[in-house]
Amino acid sequence: MTDAAAQRVEALESLLVEKGIVDPAVVDKIIEHFEADVGPLNGAKVIARAWTDPAYRKRLLADATKAIAEFGFGGPEGQLIVAVENTPSVHNVVVCTLCSCYPWPVLGLPPSWYKSPEYRSRMVARPRTVLAEMGLELADDVRIRVWDSSADARYLVVPERPPGTDGLDETDLARLVSRDAMIGVARVRSPGETDG
Amino acid sequence: MAAQSDMGGRTEFFGPVVREPNEPVFHEPWEGRLFGLSWFLIPLIRGQVDAVRDAQERLPREVYLSGYYRRWLAGFETLLVESGYLGPDELDARVAGRSSAAGPLQTSRAKRALQTSRARRALMSRALRVMTRPVLPRWLAAHVLPLALGGSRPTLQRPRFSLSDRVRVRAEQASGHTRQPGYVTGKPGEVVAHLGSHVFPDAHAVGRRARPQHLYTVSFQADDLWGGTAEPGTEVLVDLFESYLEPM
Repeated sequence: MTDAAAQRVEALESLLVEKGIVDPAVVDKIIEHFEADVGPLNGAKVIARAWTDPAYRKRLLADATKAIAEFGFGGPEGQLIVAVENTPSVHNVVVCTLCSCYPWPVLGLPPSWYKSPEYRSRMVARPRTVLAEMGLELADDVRIRVWDSSADARYLVVPERPPGTDGLDETDLARLVSRDAMIGVARVRSPGETDG
Repeated sequence: MAAQSDMGGRTEFFGPVVREPNEPVFHEPWEGRLFGLSWFLIPLIRGQVDAVRDAQERLPREVYLSGYYRRWLAGFETLLVESGYLGPDELDARVAGRSSAAGPLQTSRAKRALQTSRARRALMSRALRVMTRPVLPRWLAAHVLPLALGGSRPTLQRPRFSLSDRVRVRAEQASGHTRQPGYVTGKPGEVVAHLGSHVFPDAHAVGRRARPQHLYTVSFQADDLWGGTAEPGTEVLVDLFESYLEPM
């Protein structure tokens, strides 16, 4: 199967190049960009600044597209980014039930599980159960907001800053912030804290 | 019947969510190639991604469910043939080694679009090289790209709804491509944000002209969506176009 798809894409590319539609060197560049430059590290920098700079946090929550552009991040799937903040009483989590919308400039391309029918179907209907299964147990009094990115907006979760991080600077804090925490299926762990 | 892509709340798809440790960005090289090609193809086919989503939704169910990049591939094949950039058998022939030279473009629209192909491709290539810099100039990321790539469009129509308005999603889903999920169809909710006015995907996907529409974030309480199986203390927020909504 994989070979069949690989052959088909190769044939498609060769036709599109001959027709003058595609520049293969730019295809190389796009792949390299998403493998090397774009990923959750971008989003982690944004979150770390929001934790350390209250004015920046305010800008991020008011207009995330512009606040994220302060880092030079933007482009496809980042035309309208909305940041939603977790608090002790509200937890946010993001899904796309209709396809696989995801904020590429800050998180890179989505992982397979985010694109899976299991996640897309179930997160809107059983969020507390799915989060618990994924390792995030929330107290009953924590309200869960599930954001279904069904149109132009792409959502970025601003996780809570973990305890025990008062002495850390922005760079150290960014290292703690995981992709899953910015989707809303994990919390950010304190330094030294292990799984579970 | 609900579209195969419209998965929210559909128990037939329920199951455990499995994470893949150290997942690569692309599992196979062809996925990356196809992803790169898509950056040239989406602007070619009516711009925006609505037509691509529509083509994927029209695929046979087993093709749609065969995997993310497999449905991308099948969707692009459909669109390229429909819009005349590929002949109906051209790709099959190339795969089978039956054709050496690429065939002519099939429709006058495709020919017109590519008449200045060398210049067009050079321009596209330059734009894509700029967009794939690790760090973009701030003005480009904040102001130019959101307008150039996004669906935000001004309208003279005033928004019909305001924050805190109670609304109900209309009882019917559009028959073709739509961004109105099945699980909120007919359900009551509250407007919690106005996201401006945007290209209307239901029309844009099929090349129909339509006014831009106001877009709202609507909050739905779990009880209203799922009844007895709802989890307490949960809500779902969905971005919905104005024509999907009715006042309550």
